[in-house]
Amino acid sequence: MRFILFRIGIYLGLAVLLGGLFHTQVIHGRYYHTLGDKNRIRLIPLEAPRGRVYDRHGKLLAANRAAYDLVVTPEDMDRDTVPTLAKLLKTPESDIRARLKAPREYPFAPAVVREDISRELAFHIEEHRSELAGVEIQVTGLRHYPFGTAGSHVIGFIGKINQEEYAANRENQDQFGLNSTIGRAGIEKIYDRDLRGWRGGRQIEVNARGKMIRLLNERDPEAGRDLTVTLDMELQQTVMELIGPRNASVMMLDLESEEFLVLASTPAFDPNAFVSPASLKQRIAYLNDKASPLVDRGVSSAYPPGSVFKLVTALAGLDSGKITTQSHFFCSGQYRLTPNSVPRKCWFARGHGNVGVYQALERSCNVFFYNVGKKLSADQISDYAHRLGLGEIVPIEATNITAGLVPNSDWKRKQFKEKWYQGETLSFAIGQSYLLTSPLQILRMTSIIAKDGDWVEPRLVRSVNARKKDKRKVNIKKQDIEIVKKGMLQVVQSNYGTGQLARVDFGEIAAKTGTAQAPPKNSHAWMTGFFPYENPRVAFVVFVEHGGSGGVASAGIVKGMLQRWQGDYVQEVA
Amino acid sequence: MFKKWLKDVYWPLFFAMLALSALGLMFIYSSSYRDAGEYQIKQLFWMAVGFSIFFLMPFVGYRTFLSSSYLLYAVSIVLLIWVDIAGHTRLGAQRWIGIGPFVIQPSEFAKLSTVLALANFLGSHHSWEKENRIILGAVAITVVPMVLIMSQPDLGTSLLFIPVLLSVLLLWGIRYRYLIASVVIGAASAPFLWMFLKEYQKKRILVFLNPHLDPLGSGYTAIQSKIAVGSGGFWGKGYLQGTQSQLNFVPEHHTDFIFCVLGEEWGFLGALLLLGLYAYLFHALFQIIKHTTDFKAKLLSAGVLSVLFAQVFINIGMSIGMMPIAGLPLPFVSYGGSSFVSISIALGLVLSVHKERSIF
Repeated sequence: MRFILFRIGIYLGLAVLLGGLFHTQVIHGRYYHTLGDKNRIRLIPLEAPRGRVYDRHGKLLAANRAAYDLVVTPEDMDRDTVPTLAKLLKTPESDIRARLKAPREYPFAPAVVREDISRELAFHIEEHRSELAGVEIQVTGLRHYPFGTAGSHVIGFIGKINQEEYAANRENQDQFGLNSTIGRAGIEKIYDRDLRGWRGGRQIEVNARGKMIRLLNERDPEAGRDLTVTLDMELQQTVMELIGPRNASVMMLDLESEEFLVLASTPAFDPNAFVSPASLKQRIAYLNDKASPLVDRGVSSAYPPGSVFKLVTALAGLDSGKITTQSHFFCSGQYRLTPNSVPRKCWFARGHGNVGVYQALERSCNVFFYNVGKKLSADQISDYAHRLGLGEIVPIEATNITAGLVPNSDWKRKQFKEKWYQGETLSFAIGQSYLLTSPLQILRMTSIIAKDGDWVEPRLVRSVNARKKDKRKVNIKKQDIEIVKKGMLQVVQSNYGTGQLARVDFGEIAAKTGTAQAPPKNSHAWMTGFFPYENPRVAFVVFVEHGGSGGVASAGIVKGMLQRWQGDYVQEVA
Repeated sequence: MFKKWLKDVYWPLFFAMLALSALGLMFIYSSSYRDAGEYQIKQLFWMAVGFSIFFLMPFVGYRTFLSSSYLLYAVSIVLLIWVDIAGHTRLGAQRWIGIGPFVIQPSEFAKLSTVLALANFLGSHHSWEKENRIILGAVAITVVPMVLIMSQPDLGTSLLFIPVLLSVLLLWGIRYRYLIASVVIGAASAPFLWMFLKEYQKKRILVFLNPHLDPLGSGYTAIQSKIAVGSGGFWGKGYLQGTQSQLNFVPEHHTDFIFCVLGEEWGFLGALLLLGLYAYLFHALFQIIKHTTDFKAKLLSAGVLSVLFAQVFINIGMSIGMMPIAGLPLPFVSYGGSSFVSISIALGLVLSVHKERSIF
């Protein structure tokens, strides 16, 4: 009896085992099979090199250089690894431990402890590898910008991808990894998808220690597409030198192709500082700098245009028929809207005397434009400003493009719950009041004038497929534009002109200066125009923040820039 | 003479041993052919030694062992104490001692001598005389080596003594309520035993209850061995094709975790085959127990059987998460000389029981 009990007990035990095995192997077999595959098959991503960026003459603006990263596989470390590393890198141990704890893409993935270490240190570590368990030197491609500050606002900068960006691109693992870089501004941001390329990867079978047993599958990374920007980096560098320590924005556009030759903003930053985590201090300095070096003054900031806006007022007056070339107004040096109102001053206190539209532009007479302004409504001026592209975003390949502000009566009612006063129209007519424009908008306006009203869409990047030209014309009569152009010619070429300091001996410049009040500080200095007067080839804008008089501060830069352009683009042809 | 010998050998027992060892050899090869060590060759040697002892045991006779069982028991206790003091530390536990060129595992020896001592002790007393005292004596015989082995620390081996004691007591004739009471007391005293456990043993048990407490630490083996066995599915991945064990995700896969290799490569069918062979082995042992008239021999054989069964149950059970991880070899299948030889001695004793079944 007891024997049978014993026997049954044993067989029952075997039956229980069999049941357990059936449960694990037959019922849940598929599940464990998947787990087993997850164990042994690992995908090691290979980052793709970012595409390079060239200027119009094939000079490298953004490239990749070899860098040494110090990486550690935490699973392979021993007790001495961290203290020894801390000594070598001269950093607290807690620092290294924090880096080791950061999320990794797969088990046994090496964690990057220090990016871009010096060649000497890399070789030293490589020689002492046997004493540093788990430590390796990885050679990676690092972004490099040979021109440094010169093209920084155009090229932008990159940064390491953050959690949200990674999560947002989760479905696109071919392009985005946990350690990928991502464009944060400028071309690097806008063309990020093209530049970043396609990550490759190796599907490998590993053993329990994460060591590769065999290669199952491999795909080479595909480098990102190379881009060509339209800038002439040598000309741009010359311009940077001409600007010197001032805060300014300077642009030059090739009118035929509508391509930027120069797009400079100062103070600039060195995009290389955003590549290596080692330059964190430099980055923080940029962010805290009151002069905001990261902001492209030409694209992202808007300022009162001052007298440059008189081009719009003149066009509005002529095109609406309120004035003609025969219309003359007397400038006594001041102007009253009504006999009882406070007098407004012309900048030239002795007065310009009796002036028509040509002299008014040439000498930038405020009183003439007050009179024109009086004949027009604010909404009319606003309408013409919009026709010339002011108050609207200029769609170029840049980030944070401002639309500026072109006010009208509706806008004022909404903003201040007040009606528009005629006195404000007068200020509006000479480019003050609420009006704000970016140097980029002014450049496009000037380009449209230079091209007799053809719509202009400036561009910064040469695309592979030719773009469809927008054949639109602005809704302003050509003869009116020609009048204004002639006025602009006199600005530089006449001995009374406000822009004569820009005059060059190899051709005639047409331009308009502006000195926009920016109390309590010094005025902003503007100058915009095109060259040569007959069959214009380039348009430009020069803006110097608190630079004083437009005819003085900006004219020098215009002259220097055109001389260099002439030397590079005309002389060689002739 | 030879004809007589042939007649005296209980062949089903040998065939079961042989089949299990052959299966073991195949999977020792599968799990270690990538590493140096030639374990399958070494195992062949141990098989030769083991089978020789198995066949030679009847010539000595189990009675000799029974009559010297207290002496053997005393020696094994001394060895266990010695190993605690002078033993080699391997894998964090003192389990081995060197005698000349040999390294022996006194716990294997103690297992056998305790079974012998128990059979001798209980077999000399009837269950109707002074039952309580005799039970206490049997418990004492079992507990001394158990505690010594536990302190090595080798929880797995020490726990094997419990089913041995229970099954021998059952066959001896203990009152059922005593048996049930002792199980209850044993369960109730578990919390006290807990205090005596080493840190890693406590961890093992906690992790057994929830392997994902520490998936890369103490729970790792439990999880990985279950993945190995489970991923084999019904048909298995094929001989030499197991990834879990071939790529070292399962540690110790030629010794304690050899079932993972079999389960992964031959699947449920392979496991069925293995369990079938064990059932066949146990069946052979039952036949011997059934046909012997010597009460001591019955107890001895039953003790051997329960040791084997407990090892099989714990070893396979741990690989599928039914039992906590314990370092126990799978009888005849795992690589290892000590284990193979000591089981051969034990089965040799049972063979001798068969030979002398009708001495009266």
